[in-house]
Amino acid sequence: MNIELSDEAIEYGHQASRAFEAAGGDDLVQQAQADPQSRGELITPILDGLGALDLEPRADADQLEAAAALCRSAGYWAVPDPVAERLSRPTDLEVDGLVVVAQRPRAAIGGLAGRWAAVDLDGRRSSATAGKPKAAFVADLELTHLDEQGAKDLALALTLPVWTLLGMLDRALDLAIAHVSIRKQFGQTLSGFQSVQFQLTDGEVERSGLEMLARHTLWSIATDRRDAVDDALALRMAALEAAEVVFRVTHQLHGASGFCDETTLSWLSRYSQPLRRLPLGLSATRDVLTRRIGTAGLAGIS
Amino acid sequence: MTEDFHRQVRSWCEQHVPKNWRQTQNGVSEAEFARFQQEWFQTLRGAGYAVPHWPAEWGGGMSVDQQVILYQELAAHDAPRLVLQFVSIHHAAATLLAAGTEEQRQRHLPAILDGEIWVQGFSEPEAGSDLAALRTTARREGDHFVVNGQKLWASGGMHADWCLLLARTDSEAPKRKGISYFLMDMRSDGVEVRPIRNAVGDSHFCEIFLNDVRIPEANLVGPENAGWQVAQETLGTERGMTMLELAERLGNAGFRWLVQECERQGATDSRTRDTLAQFEIEITGLRGLCRSMVSGQAHGPADASIVKLFYSELLQRLTGFGAEIAGLDAHAVLTKPQSSGWESGAWMLDFIGSWEWTIPGGASEIQRTIIAERGLGLPREPQ
Repeated sequence: MNIELSDEAIEYGHQASRAFEAAGGDDLVQQAQADPQSRGELITPILDGLGALDLEPRADADQLEAAAALCRSAGYWAVPDPVAERLSRPTDLEVDGLVVVAQRPRAAIGGLAGRWAAVDLDGRRSSATAGKPKAAFVADLELTHLDEQGAKDLALALTLPVWTLLGMLDRALDLAIAHVSIRKQFGQTLSGFQSVQFQLTDGEVERSGLEMLARHTLWSIATDRRDAVDDALALRMAALEAAEVVFRVTHQLHGASGFCDETTLSWLSRYSQPLRRLPLGLSATRDVLTRRIGTAGLAGIS
Repeated sequence: MTEDFHRQVRSWCEQHVPKNWRQTQNGVSEAEFARFQQEWFQTLRGAGYAVPHWPAEWGGGMSVDQQVILYQELAAHDAPRLVLQFVSIHHAAATLLAAGTEEQRQRHLPAILDGEIWVQGFSEPEAGSDLAALRTTARREGDHFVVNGQKLWASGGMHADWCLLLARTDSEAPKRKGISYFLMDMRSDGVEVRPIRNAVGDSHFCEIFLNDVRIPEANLVGPENAGWQVAQETLGTERGMTMLELAERLGNAGFRWLVQECERQGATDSRTRDTLAQFEIEITGLRGLCRSMVSGQAHGPADASIVKLFYSELLQRLTGFGAEIAGLDAHAVLTKPQSSGWESGAWMLDFIGSWEWTIPGGASEIQRTIIAERGLGLPREPQ
C-alpha cells in the first residue's frame, strides 16, 4: 500500500494554490459573498487555467491524487466554488458535478450554472436543481430520480470534499501560528507560552492524522476496494472531529478578533460549515458508518 | 417559605412576562431592542426583581436562595434576559459598592435603576489577556484628567451612557501600579463609538476612541494609581455573581429547549439520551458550584475561575450539540430574538455566540493560570 501523494500531484497542488492566490486569494470568497451570482465567472477562469476540469479522478490514481491536491489548495483559500463536487462527477452521466445528499437535499451549489447530479448514501442518483442560495451558497435541491447506479460514485464524492476541508484546516493552523507569533501579551509573543503551543500541537495532531487517513482513502478508492465507501465515511467522521478541534483552537488563539470579518479565520470558519454539515453532521455520519460496518469493522491497513 | 416564594414569582411571571416577545423581538433594530430592554427592566423593578443581588438599602436584598428561585422561575417562564443592563447592574454596581464614594453611589445607583446604561472600557488592541499593559492615558490637569487612547471589545458600547474606564495615570510606575479607574460620561466631547460587526451578524462589540476626553477628578474610583485593585473587584463579580443567573438560565431554559429540540427532531436514540444525561449532570454540578460560591460556603481562591471555565466550555458543547441536532434548518436561522440568553434556541447562532465566552473577562488560558497558581498553589510560569 502506498499512501504518499506523487510528486506531480504535490506540485500541481502548489501551482493551484499560487493560481488562487494570484487571482485574489482571500478576497475571492469576500467578492463572491458580496455578489453570489458572480462566483461562477470569478472562479471558472482560474480552474480553466489549471486544466482542473479536464482532470478525471475516476480514471487513474495520478489524476485522483492531482484532484485531491487541487481540492486541498481550494480549501486553503476558501475558494467559493464546489471544486471537489465538480471533480466528483460520474463518468456515465452528462453532468458538471455530483453532490452527496441525505434526507433533506441541500448543497453549496446555489447560483451556479450547469447540470448537477445528486447521489444518496443508498446509491440512488438524481438530477439536481438548486433553489435560491442561502448562507454560504447553500441551496435546497429539487431532485428528479435517475437511477440506482450511484453506489460506485459515492466514495469519491464523499472523499474529495474532505480534502477541501483539510486545506481549510491547514490554513486555520497557519493563520493561528502567524497570529500567535506576532501578538504580544505579558511582554512576549503568545507563541512563547507552552499552553498556547500545546493547543496548537493538539490541532496539528488532529490535522496530520486526518491527512494520513485522507491519503489512505485515496488509495482505497484508487485500488477499487470493496469497502471504499466505509473508508470514505470513516474519513469524513475523522475530518469532522479534526475540524472541531482545529477551529476551536484557532478561534480561541485569535481571541475576539477571530469573530470579526477583519480576520481571514472568520471567513474560513464560516465557509467550512457547509462542508462540515453536508450531507450529514458528525453524529449522523457516525450512525451511518456504524450501521454499515456493524461488528465487522473496517478492513484498515493490510 | 421557599414554596411560597416560588408561587409568588410564578404568579408574577404568568402575569408580567410578555407573551410573544420572541416573535416581536426577533431581529429588531438596536433602538427597539434598547426600548424593550428598558421597559422590561422597569417591569422587573416594579416587583423588586431587577437587582435582587444588590444590598437592601439600594433596592435589592434577596437571599441567595431567593435569587436562585427568582432566576429559576424567570428562566422557566422564558422571560427576556437583562442584556442591555448587564454591565450596569453587575459590574458598575459592584465597583461602586466596593470602591465608589458615597457621592458616586448616590449619583449612579438610583440612576441605574432608572435605566442608566454602562459599558466596560478595559480591553485595548494591545491589552487583552494582558490587561495591565493598557496604553490609554489619563493626564491630570488641575481638577480634571484628560484621556487619550482606544478601547476595544466594549460590548454594547453604542447604548452606553457611562463607561467604567481604566487608564494609565503613571507611565513610570510598574504596569499594575500606574493605572487608575474612572467613571466616564459617554456624552463627553472626544468620545467616539464604532460598532464592529461580528460572526453572529450583530454589532454588539464596539471600539471606543478617546480624544482629549475630560473627566472630573470626582469621577476617579478609589485612589489614583490603584485602579488595578478596583478592576479586580469588577472582574471578580463578572466571574462570580453573574454566573448564578446564567447557570439557572442554562438549567431551566437552555437545557430544557435542547431536550425539546431532540424530541422535535425525533432524536431519541441512546446516543442522544446519553449525551443529554451527561449535560444534565454537568449543569447540576455547575448550579451547585455557583450557589456555593455566591453563598460564600467553602470558598476557594480560584472558585470564580473554575465556574467561568466550566460554564463557558459547557455552553460551547451544549450549543454545539444543539446545532448538530437541529441540523440543516438551524443554518437557515439568521436572526435570533434579541433579549434572549446565550442559548436562545437559534442553535447555530447560539453556538457561534458561545465561542465568545472563552475569551472575554479573562480568557480560558488566564482562568487556567489562576486555578493553577492561586487554586493549586503551583509556581508561576517562568517569564
